[in-house]
Amino acid sequence: MKKLTLSLLSLIFFIGILAGCVSESGGGSDDSGNSDGGDSGDSGSEEFSIAVVPKLVGIPYFNASEKGAERAGEELGVNVNYTGTTQADASQQVQEIENLISQDVDVIAVAPNDPASVDPVLKKAKDQGIHVMDWDTPANEVDLSVKQVDDEEFGRHMAQKLVEAMGTESGEIAILTGGLAAANLNAWIDAAKAEFDENYSGIEIVTEKIPTDEKQQVAYQKTLDLIKSYPDLKGVLAVSTPAPLGAAQAVQEEGLQDEISVVGSALPTDSKPFLEDGSLDTAVLWNPEELGYLTVALGKMLAEGEMPKDGQEIEGVGEISVVDDGKTVIMGPPQDFTKENAGDYNF
Amino acid sequence: MKLTKESILGLIALGTFILMSLIAPGFLGSNNLSNFLFQLPEFGLLALGMMVVIITGGIDLSITYVAALSGVGAALMLTNGYSIISAIVVAIIFGVACGAFNGFVVSKIGVPPILVTLGTMVLFEGVILAITKGNSISGFGDTYSLIGNGYYMGVVPLSILIFIFFAILTGVLLNKSSWGRSIYMYGNNEIATLFSGIRNSRVLMKVYLYVGLLAAISAIIMTSRYNSVKVDLGSSYLLQSVAAAVLGGTNIHGGYGKVIGTVYAVIIFQTLSNGLNLLGVHSAIVDVFIGGILILVLTLNFFSDKMKSKKESRVSSVS
Repeated sequence: MKKLTLSLLSLIFFIGILAGCVSESGGGSDDSGNSDGGDSGDSGSEEFSIAVVPKLVGIPYFNASEKGAERAGEELGVNVNYTGTTQADASQQVQEIENLISQDVDVIAVAPNDPASVDPVLKKAKDQGIHVMDWDTPANEVDLSVKQVDDEEFGRHMAQKLVEAMGTESGEIAILTGGLAAANLNAWIDAAKAEFDENYSGIEIVTEKIPTDEKQQVAYQKTLDLIKSYPDLKGVLAVSTPAPLGAAQAVQEEGLQDEISVVGSALPTDSKPFLEDGSLDTAVLWNPEELGYLTVALGKMLAEGEMPKDGQEIEGVGEISVVDDGKTVIMGPPQDFTKENAGDYNF
Repeated sequence: MKLTKESILGLIALGTFILMSLIAPGFLGSNNLSNFLFQLPEFGLLALGMMVVIITGGIDLSITYVAALSGVGAALMLTNGYSIISAIVVAIIFGVACGAFNGFVVSKIGVPPILVTLGTMVLFEGVILAITKGNSISGFGDTYSLIGNGYYMGVVPLSILIFIFFAILTGVLLNKSSWGRSIYMYGNNEIATLFSGIRNSRVLMKVYLYVGLLAAISAIIMTSRYNSVKVDLGSSYLLQSVAAAVLGGTNIHGGYGKVIGTVYAVIIFQTLSNGLNLLGVHSAIVDVFIGGILILVLTLNFFSDKMKSKKESRVSSVS
């Protein structure tokens, strides 16, 4: 009996709280917005502080971009705070950004794990006069967006590299992808297909693009199947970073290095063993260190109230291009990693 | 003067708080304090749920995926144009249903909780992936976001009030209700409890239902705060919530655990990660600190328990 009264009472209390909230909280959040807007003016008098938030810390790719970001901080005289969580978890990333807002930084650059989840917190940052930008992966609520490559150019470049590696402009090829729904991978594949259609009509794509679940093991298995089903296969184009490694592994195991060419998007340290014996011909990606550097350099410009211009020369990175919307910056052409230069990189 | 485990922990919490306000710049700033209050509830609710399961001598490894699944339920309702109330109701139904499933297998079939929840963790993850295909569901509207981001009466974050409410509710249920007392009894000695005429399976079932409820509430706060839900919603809270419950003095073998201890532990974790973050400490080092404190407190607890039992045996031998 007692228990029943208790649970009833608590239920009533809970509903009471909820009811109270609906009527009151609107005014409350307005209040906080006003009071917060006031203290944005006192920052920015001396050295700018730029916070760079990666998807997570402690993996080679983001360690390399950290190096670039810190180098930019030293060379450009800005205070760089490269901070992220040890897991690629969207909620932890939001808390990280909230803490950065408390630290009164001038610019926050984020590589969102989940673009939608950072919307509210980036809006909050903007309300406090903090400049927000994204890098590596696009977010919605930003003043400036830093993209590593142009998708169209990247796809066409991979296609050209594959034809180059095959040494012939005709033959059968197959395309492996990370996942059928990944927007950036699809953009690359479409561009590559367009390149084959327009310039290399002798190239025949034997089957629809094959998903590999972002796993090296799956890519390996699918490539073995491909080799069996299409004995005349000349080339494999593999997008998403684990896929080229799996494809190369299959080619290596079958000893078909000279018959089948593999080109794809992969990091140089991972692909080095396959590049060395020719099972992977070229890995194409961008330089994450330069991406980190560029992010900080553009963050500084943003803090100074400038916007980057198309064709502008950024020291240490090169010429950048700006897309028509005026706020999306593209770092530059893709970078090739081959047998000769893969050892020079540490990402 | 005698101090209980919990009050020592309270002093440690106070100590870290004072330490951080002295050394971390901007820690006492109103902006940071409100961040602090907004970040605490989602984690606190999961830690409370975990504590209740651990008191029975079990563990719930599926807790964050239960939360994520309830979040998906709420998200589907909201994005399909249903009202906020119905979204909240659906989230709670999802949470409680997941809890019922765990509870059924643990209490009626008798499989150890760690195995059951390990299985359901993967199961729920699979269900979420099947529904969302790995993408996030987002865009819930401004009114819904007030649950996690709004202020009650313009001062206190609403979410912290929800947390305080559930902390008190958990405390009252554990200490005052007969169900709560049976949880402690069950955790101490399952067989003796059964022979004292208590239906163990019913007690356990309710425990998992309650955990499902807390996970769902936590999910509502998280989805509202992040305006988005994905398969890994709050996944990093899984082991942290076990750590918080254990740091709070809950006996991992069951039978002991207090709400206030867990609340102190959550405050300690939150203070440390927030303060060290403000100091610009690398987040890997923050993990090291939290792990270090956990080991330290657990060792202290172990020795104080040992001393106590020694003293007790000495007293009994003298008399």
